[in-house]
Amino acid sequence: MSSTTPQVADTEATEETLDAPRVRVVISVVGDADLDAALAVVRRQVYEPEPDIVVVGGGADGVASIVSLEEAISSTDSDVDYLWLLHSDARPRPDALSALVAESERNEASLAGSKLLKAGTMDELESVGGATDVFGEPYSGLDEGEIDLQQYDVVREVAFVQSASMLVRRDLAQGLRGLDPLLPPVAAGLDFSQRTRLAGGRVISVPSSEVYHQGRCGDRGKGWREQAGRLRAIVTAYTPLTLLWVLPYDFLVSIIDSLGSLLLGRWRPAVRHVYSWAWNIYHLPSTIRQRRRLRSVRAEGDEELFRFQARGSLRLRTVGEELSGRILSVFDDDQALARGSRRVWGSPGIWGAILAAGVVFFAARSIIFGGMPNVGYTFPFEPPSVALARWFGGWNESGLGAGASVHPATGLTGLVSFLWFGAEGAARTLLTLLLSLLGIVGMGRLGGRMGLRGPGRYLAGIVLMAGPGTALLVEAGSWLSLCAAAVLPWAVRACFVHPHEAGRSKMTHGGWALLTGLIVAAFSPVLAIVPLIVVLVWRLLGGDRASFVLGLVVMLGGLVGLGFMMGDPEWLLDPAQRLGVFSDNLWLVLILIAALPMVMVDGRSRLVSMTGGIVALAALAQGRLFDFGPGLEEAVFIAASFGAALVVSGVLDGLSRNVFRLVAVAGGLAIVVTSVAGLSNGRLGLPPGDDNARLAFAATLSEENGPGRILHASLDKSLIPGEVRSGPGFWYRVLDGSGTTLDEVWLPEIRDGDDDLASSLVDIASGAELRPGDRLAPFAVDWVVLEGPEFVLDEVLLAQLDLVPLPLDPTARVYENDRAVVLAGTTSDPWMNHGVGFSGDPVDGQVRLAVNYDDGWQPDPQSDGWWVTIDGSEGEAIWEGDALDTVLAVLTVALAVISSAAIIVGRRIS
Amino acid sequence: MKWVAAVVMLALAATAFLLPEPNQAQHGENPATEPPPVAICPIVATANRATSVSVLSSVNGEGRLSTFSTGEESGALEFRTGDSGAITIQATDAGAAGISGGLIEMPSDITAAAVALTGQGVMAAESCVDIPAGEAFLAGGSTASGAMFEVQLMNPYAGEAVLDFTVTTDAGIESDDRFDSVVVPALSSYTLDMNQIIPGRQEISVNIEVTSGSALVVGRQTLNGRVAMWRAVPAAQEWWLPIPAGEGPKELLLATPTNSEIEYQIDHFSNTGGLLESYASGVLPPRGVLRLALSDVTLETAAVRVVATGPLVPTLWIDSPTGLALTTASPLDAPLWLLPGAQAPAGGTGTVVILNTGLEEISVDVRSLQETALTRSVVLPAGAVAEVDLVAADGYRIEASGPVVALWSSSLAGQGSVAMGIPVQDG
Repeated sequence: MSSTTPQVADTEATEETLDAPRVRVVISVVGDADLDAALAVVRRQVYEPEPDIVVVGGGADGVASIVSLEEAISSTDSDVDYLWLLHSDARPRPDALSALVAESERNEASLAGSKLLKAGTMDELESVGGATDVFGEPYSGLDEGEIDLQQYDVVREVAFVQSASMLVRRDLAQGLRGLDPLLPPVAAGLDFSQRTRLAGGRVISVPSSEVYHQGRCGDRGKGWREQAGRLRAIVTAYTPLTLLWVLPYDFLVSIIDSLGSLLLGRWRPAVRHVYSWAWNIYHLPSTIRQRRRLRSVRAEGDEELFRFQARGSLRLRTVGEELSGRILSVFDDDQALARGSRRVWGSPGIWGAILAAGVVFFAARSIIFGGMPNVGYTFPFEPPSVALARWFGGWNESGLGAGASVHPATGLTGLVSFLWFGAEGAARTLLTLLLSLLGIVGMGRLGGRMGLRGPGRYLAGIVLMAGPGTALLVEAGSWLSLCAAAVLPWAVRACFVHPHEAGRSKMTHGGWALLTGLIVAAFSPVLAIVPLIVVLVWRLLGGDRASFVLGLVVMLGGLVGLGFMMGDPEWLLDPAQRLGVFSDNLWLVLILIAALPMVMVDGRSRLVSMTGGIVALAALAQGRLFDFGPGLEEAVFIAASFGAALVVSGVLDGLSRNVFRLVAVAGGLAIVVTSVAGLSNGRLGLPPGDDNARLAFAATLSEENGPGRILHASLDKSLIPGEVRSGPGFWYRVLDGSGTTLDEVWLPEIRDGDDDLASSLVDIASGAELRPGDRLAPFAVDWVVLEGPEFVLDEVLLAQLDLVPLPLDPTARVYENDRAVVLAGTTSDPWMNHGVGFSGDPVDGQVRLAVNYDDGWQPDPQSDGWWVTIDGSEGEAIWEGDALDTVLAVLTVALAVISSAAIIVGRRIS
Repeated sequence: MKWVAAVVMLALAATAFLLPEPNQAQHGENPATEPPPVAICPIVATANRATSVSVLSSVNGEGRLSTFSTGEESGALEFRTGDSGAITIQATDAGAAGISGGLIEMPSDITAAAVALTGQGVMAAESCVDIPAGEAFLAGGSTASGAMFEVQLMNPYAGEAVLDFTVTTDAGIESDDRFDSVVVPALSSYTLDMNQIIPGRQEISVNIEVTSGSALVVGRQTLNGRVAMWRAVPAAQEWWLPIPAGEGPKELLLATPTNSEIEYQIDHFSNTGGLLESYASGVLPPRGVLRLALSDVTLETAAVRVVATGPLVPTLWIDSPTGLALTTASPLDAPLWLLPGAQAPAGGTGTVVILNTGLEEISVDVRSLQETALTRSVVLPAGAVAEVDLVAADGYRIEASGPVVALWSSSLAGQGSVAMGIPVQDG
């Protein structure tokens, strides 16, 4: 029993009691509850003036009996101020009514609920009012079997009170026509509470009004009828706009809840969901009538309901807790982790991550089940030792080779492969999936740091990964763009300081900024400047919490790509090397529709949307104002997607009946839907195909000399792997016969060998060359592959004497050149390529390497035309790279180590 | 600030909307293509027949003759054209044996080659070609009694060639699997013996369509021991054909590979410069063949121009006491012609027939290519035909001040040959 001491009422009719509100008690007969006992306890209520009592659905001596609750309410005289709706299985304490009336008057509440204690227990709490989630799932906040120790004894506004004992203003009850007779008790209480709130009333819980509840009226909120009732309650209460997303979301939650419950060995939830939806469909006409009735008294929007709702789905949270609890219980004897997991499941970030995982699973299903495509600019990693050696100033094997820095992603992918136990194939798939997940979560986290709280910021992650720019780049096969886009929000986030983190060490902030800058720049060197631009725009628009210094630190990460950009400035400047993607004007329109109306909306969401709008539109305009190389191209288009994602984050941060917001939301949703389409191919938007498998004949049919090179040519540059060169009437490039790898995607700057090859191709394409195989032989071109529509090379290779056409591919025309020289060594003593050099049997004299001349080759490098020859007596050709490239690589590693250390040390200091 | 931001967004959107997209990067321009300086020739080297290969060039340069028949080179011979720019080689010196193909890698761009088939009672000549046509037509064959008709397919290239034949005879279109998807492997020569496949046909024409690769197609007709050789050419709508003087049956064979009626008109040029337009005209039935007896027109040197509403191929058929000879007309005229192999054989005669196709009088130099070159100059009125006697040489070069068409013939001991020269377009 509660230790609350009942107040002793003055039995004399004073002036005060005569002015006290008049109450009519309406007792609803439920189940097999003892009505006489209920009447007895009601009659013992200490309240003046003595309340009038009516019984609904039953009869008893001395009290009026009425058939329905609605009739009981409507027949109540206007001199009655309150109706006390009570179940016949409720046993209120004598002061319960007076407490309800007193607190209702004091708090100007329209609806007040009693504290319900389970009858027959040691004051076990049943309800003190509660919150719900957006689906109407009640959340009492009580633990199972929790005893009343007055821990909740404070009058407070709640989302709903139970119908077992509630005091409602008579005029409101008549306006709302009482409880919905189709609903069971808890759902009825929820429904009535929501309608009260939408009608402008306050709903409070009055703990001093204690009622013992026998629970004969139902199953205490459980069972399919309650579930169906909750669904009916939200369909009755919400506006059409809210229902537009709540109902599909609820349906999805029902499915996940059913599946999760099945995993827990429970089949009933699935059946309950089926019954619930079926029941509501059956009763849809009456639900629509209920909505019409509510419309006439509605005074508030759905936001009034949202104020008292928990985030996410309570059902899923419960299932998640149980699942994680079961798993953790294997290791967690004292359930400490399991208790922590309950808090975890309440975090929007977790639900954002789940959404991201779902999206990534859907978007990457072909990758998960069928592997990564090898096409366009997407190719496997080199083994970690080779990749890291190339990164630290090693030989760049792309094309005819060069002593130039490889793309900085080579180093990062080499490191990831190394950490993944040297399994570069698995590392590649894992990195792709992980980064895609991080991209979506990162957008949500960035939105949070910018001050957004709604779920829309996670949907924005989809726009980042498949929005107006990224989708085009990825569709062209740029895997690096996908990765760069995924890391960008984290780099931008590193420039924003959360108010709770303001006191943290600057070292931590700086460390994160530098580390994320390095990673972004490793995938797309120019992109490292975008966070600074975002900070600039944000600050110009009046935003706070963003640091220019941190933006500059992120940009410092661009150092990782410095060697690569210096080695091939055309990558930045030469429009001929562009991927050739152009954004559709539809994106401009959608971004404008979403971002412009936000001018009329107040709050952080406006600031975020406008920042995103300016960044996205500036990037798209940039794409047309200037013609530049692929390095800038990818940065500009990723920035466009990022800006569009910010717009979506802002506009979907909340809903209101503001017409400008509604237009913005429509635009934002259109952006999301259009972006989802870009992910629907199951490969995260990457094109299908495996060029390495198609061209595997080069390695398979190679003899002891090893696979040489493939000359790949086409009218359509997108059919040729990686960067291409312009030839006479076609595009072409030289590929590694053993398979193209990521580090070979970009060709180094043109050197003498490349010039020689170009002039040979001019001669061959003129038709005057009867033995094109001879002309291509010095370049170690073992194979010529012509792709796509027929072109000039098809014509001239009809009439030649030494390139043998072979039917090795159903679409491409393949020619074998058996005159090609070996890559290194001699025909009788070929040397094998081991990634970063060549080795073989020692030979007397010089050995020729079919690579562009560079004096970094050892020992004793000499120029032989465009070739390099080295002393063959050691049986090995070793490349000793440019010291500057090595220094830059080491410097980058040092920066990564420093930034990591700064994060760790900074955390300890703070 | 929010209004400034809105204006900035509108301005950026307008910029992006109004500006055209940057041009897509373009690859380099197509180079001017030119055929490789090669010639492909049919070669017969048997016990009683031999083939000589004549090469004419504008320079004293090096070349190479290789022979092939069964997937590989039978042999090869490197040569130099010498000061005269011409040379005649025996195919057997380049390893030829049996029926095979020859590939000549020429010393310069202005160059031409031809083969002469000689032997016991045999004399035939035909010029070689640089790039075989994708679709060609061969008319004038016969497998009737006393006649043997062979079609030789030669593929000197690195890839196999696949050809489809449409064979039309006096019995209609012949249906036989051996005419479908005929594969000629790389560096191979393959001969279809039409007498085995479709014996007893009086008039055979063959349309050849190359579905992949490339191959040269040559017809060889044997009639009562005499042999004529001519190559398949693409059908066209306008042709020139000089006709040497001489007695005996001389026919103009008109044949079309198309499956529709074709109207044709024949203009006649006389050796006096007279042009008789529309000397003959008519309609050629679908896939039809028509023989016009030229001997009825004149026994003198003459020429005809054939103009038609659709593609056809005119073939000169001479079955005279001086031999059996066939050659196709020329669709081109040019001021410079090379006549490799043109000569008067020892003990025989040889002539070149030149038609001035222009509207003005021109002078024509006829130069023999041998150690001591002989040049004869002829003045030809507009539309006139002249016949000039040849001497022993490796070939002739005809250079005129206007467009001409040149054909040569030779005869020896009851055998004869006739072959069109090779026009040099950019000479």
